[in-house]
Amino acid sequence: MTGLCFFLRRRFVPYLERKLSPGERGYLETHIARCRRCRELMSQVRAGHEAGRQFGRLGPEDRKRPPEFDELWAGTRAETILRPMSWSRAVPALVVLVIALGAALVMSRRAAPWRSGGQAVLSAAAGRSRGFVPLRIGEFPSKSAAPVVTEGFVRGVYFDSEEKTLHIKLVEEEQKGEPFVICEVRSPGGMAIPQEGSRVRVYGTPRFDPQPGRGWSEVNPVTNIDILKR
Amino acid sequence: MAPTVSPGQSVALRLPAGDAERSLVLAARRGDEEAFRDLYRAYREPVWNLVNSLVGDPVQAQDVLQDVFFKAFRGLSGFRFRSCLFTWIYRIARNECRNHIRRRGAPLLPLGAIQGSRAEIDGRLVPEDERARRDALRGAVMQLPFKMREVIILKYMEELSYKEMSRILRCPPGTVASRLARALAELGARLGPTGAA
Repeated sequence: MTGLCFFLRRRFVPYLERKLSPGERGYLETHIARCRRCRELMSQVRAGHEAGRQFGRLGPEDRKRPPEFDELWAGTRAETILRPMSWSRAVPALVVLVIALGAALVMSRRAAPWRSGGQAVLSAAAGRSRGFVPLRIGEFPSKSAAPVVTEGFVRGVYFDSEEKTLHIKLVEEEQKGEPFVICEVRSPGGMAIPQEGSRVRVYGTPRFDPQPGRGWSEVNPVTNIDILKR
Repeated sequence: MAPTVSPGQSVALRLPAGDAERSLVLAARRGDEEAFRDLYRAYREPVWNLVNSLVGDPVQAQDVLQDVFFKAFRGLSGFRFRSCLFTWIYRIARNECRNHIRRRGAPLLPLGAIQGSRAEIDGRLVPEDERARRDALRGAVMQLPFKMREVIILKYMEELSYKEMSRILRCPPGTVASRLARALAELGARLGPTGAA
């Protein structure tokens, strides 16, 4: 990518919105006709721009409304807003914060990855020692079976705010979408949610969801999740 | 001096500005609860739209929204009128959303966005109905890195100009334009050539 390409790409969206002058428009079109990379990028930006416009028309999901002022203002928060915090309360709060930060730092360093590579490999010893049968994602049975432990890469996370359940899509191989399993966590309050791309070990009951439009394997319910690599 | 809004009119069009904004802020600093109420009413909807879109879950967004206004009200004594209040509150909202997402971990996707493996063609989702289409589009946006996601939300949902975005994001308008182009290219690549979910 040349310096000119870098500069001109900033004009892609105004070009799509017809906000460029005729001279600027002509110059950009001439460049795009000659530059394959910019031509390909413009195609993607055009698709993204159309998607962005659709997204803007969707609006935010409004199953919940923002709280009313009285709810926001209620209780001690009002006093805290109106009166500055005194030093006698600030110092202990600061000490607690420093200790909490230190503990978080120590804990994060302990969770070091113990295996790398694109394909998850189960440690049979780890699973059997806890009474769970190790099972690869691709080996999931078509009916409920004994509690299992499986490993995979997080491909997506969804929280159902109505049912208060967390769904995690786990794939066996990092670069492939299948085979996959949906892990359902009931009442996930306080649980650290793994990031997309993390390698995790999931313990729970294997099931198969035969409903139309689904037809996938599940770990439901999940009893524990270990984050192996972030 | 609560702003009045006609049915269908965007609250954002009635944000206090200039002297009206200054008066509200000064009154709030004196502890006037009515001033806090007016400020909250004026900014609640646009900030809610931003927070809800960035966080991706209305339940969590409510908590983040309360944190945003708590910090905004608490920090009013330090507001120096160098920018408009709208930009200042948006900046707080953006930072709170970013911090919340970092603590939370993975972005939250609508179920339709992650269940589409059976209907995937060339790695893209093929939704079967309107709800699935909307979920797939929201999911694609939510899967973008935070910096890309926020610029798309500010541009297409909040309909801010490059200048307004640059003030909120604290970077030059040219950088905003570059970031937006990269974000749209990434979104377009995920959704396919038509951009339709």
